[in-house]
Amino acid sequence: MVVATKRNSKKIERKALPDFEKIEESPGFRNLLKKKKAFLIPSTLLFLGLYILFPIIISYTNVLNASFIGDISWSWVYALGLFIMTWTLVTIYMKKSAEFDRMAHETLKEFNYEEEDNQ
Amino acid sequence: MNPIVVILFLIIVGLTLVVTYFAAKKTNTASEFYTAGGGLTGWQNGLAIAGDYLSAASFLGIAGAIALYGFDGFLFSIGYLVAYLVVLFIVAEPLRNLGKYTLADMINSRFNAKKVRAGAAISSITIVIFYMIAQLVGAGALIQLLFDIPYWIAVLLVGIMMTVYVLFGGMTATSWVQIIKAVLLMAGTIIISFLVLKEFNFNIFEMFTSMKTATPHGADYLNPGVKYKMPLDTISLMIALVLGTAGLPHILMRFFTVRDAKTARSSVMWATWIVGIFYVMTIFLGFGAAAFVGQDLIVSTNAAGNMAAPLLAQVLGGDFLMSFVSAVAFATILAVVAGLVLSGASAFAHDIYGQIIKKGNVTDREQMLAARYASVGVAVFSIILALFAQSLNVAFLVSLAFCIAASANLPVIVYTIFWKKFNTAGAISAMATGLISALVLVSISPSVMNPVEGAAIITGNPIFPLTNPALVSVPLGFIGGWLGTLLTKESDVKKFAEVTVKANTGGFRQL
Repeated sequence: MVVATKRNSKKIERKALPDFEKIEESPGFRNLLKKKKAFLIPSTLLFLGLYILFPIIISYTNVLNASFIGDISWSWVYALGLFIMTWTLVTIYMKKSAEFDRMAHETLKEFNYEEEDNQ
Repeated sequence: MNPIVVILFLIIVGLTLVVTYFAAKKTNTASEFYTAGGGLTGWQNGLAIAGDYLSAASFLGIAGAIALYGFDGFLFSIGYLVAYLVVLFIVAEPLRNLGKYTLADMINSRFNAKKVRAGAAISSITIVIFYMIAQLVGAGALIQLLFDIPYWIAVLLVGIMMTVYVLFGGMTATSWVQIIKAVLLMAGTIIISFLVLKEFNFNIFEMFTSMKTATPHGADYLNPGVKYKMPLDTISLMIALVLGTAGLPHILMRFFTVRDAKTARSSVMWATWIVGIFYVMTIFLGFGAAAFVGQDLIVSTNAAGNMAAPLLAQVLGGDFLMSFVSAVAFATILAVVAGLVLSGASAFAHDIYGQIIKKGNVTDREQMLAARYASVGVAVFSIILALFAQSLNVAFLVSLAFCIAASANLPVIVYTIFWKKFNTAGAISAMATGLISALVLVSISPSVMNPVEGAAIITGNPIFPLTNPALVSVPLGFIGGWLGTLLTKESDVKKFAEVTVKANTGGFRQL
């Protein structure tokens, strides 16, 4: 009997949960996901691609051994380029994410969720 | 041993103990123990991530590798930095929004299955143990060299310090030890870099020109290929480095110490700048050591090149700078191992004891007690292993930890967040395939099997050709998760909607 009551009370708790499918299908949230994907997928492919291309190029060819300026070769330029790429993408993402935060906040507001509840 | 070393060493020990004393007063609940109450700011956590991440392998190992192998040594620096884009774009925010104390919490937010939690806890503990032995063995060897004391005393000393921080000060003490270390490490590296650049008249071109004739490698020193001659081996190593970071339990745990996804994001930004600037400076450390210390002396002091940075400090700034750099190396080791103890303990006490054995029915007091017992357990266990593992190659253990993290943890994290059909069976098979294939492939690789007697653990021809198996084991982890999902077909679309909403908005965390 005790177990049954426990189960029932759990069911009631579950019902009190918001309808996540409804939130997920709401236009505001869909738009947030779409915008996030539009940034994250191409940038991830870009940085992983440029990154993994590097060991492939230096392992199979000598093209990057050519001089860039003086005794600094293109391998160093490519390597440092990967550093600059990392910092640039982080900076761009920090800018973009302000918009994501705003859209997420709006979705939460639309479904009457108080952000203070998290604390 | 000169007196300056002893004084600086005692200052670091004293300072970190004061931090631990104050942290202990603020460590009264499980949440405070595991996450410092979740109240760190972006820059604080960013510095702590850097302190957690830049191990002795980074500071001493990469400086040594660049000194000995030139460009090839710098490959590590590149991989370790770009890895933060994977952390930022894929892992950091969903982890903060879905998890509580551990990676298993985050994966279980979708599956709520004991087997999945056990799998995540086991892979976390495996990674922590490998990483920890690497750090302790490295620490023992280095402190032995730096302070001229026996290996076992050195290991015990580091072991006791890390246990004290975690046991009494939990995450608060660990975070501040990591922050202090990050500041000291950056200061030390900036000073040495400045002195190296001064020797080259602050002219980068002059530096590169001098390096062409500074080592026995000649002009090749500045080109790729001095150390890594097998293309697939190089590519495999680079894959492990870039994908492994996002699966390291002690790094992932840092994201629970901030209040929301926005702060998690800004802590990655801080970490990326600090870690990136540090890795650029490894070029100056390595070049400087090769030019002013010389490869002969570096190798004769320590065959792996680990003493390159302290020796360089000696040449450029005398006993004082050498002592300072040694003390920084000591602080570096302490900060990393403390983070490892804490993440290992959380997997034992929170996942296995609290959630699996006790099914979540534990009081806060019991959780704290379990966490403290687990911390001591993890520490003692690793100290004992480290005492027996003195002869193991440290770089091999670290790259193995990265490989397991990339193979066992990353696929399941990616699928949990992004794949609608992913299910319990898929989660288990992703973790099991990744973990087992990484372990098995390494144990039949050239790192373990070598035809020259005594060169590796087993004498014989390696069955698997790659030193680091990530090129094979990471795809296997992904395939394992995919097959496991397709073969069982059960899936909970509702739960995926919940996870997607929570991961992307940061709301409904308590429900």
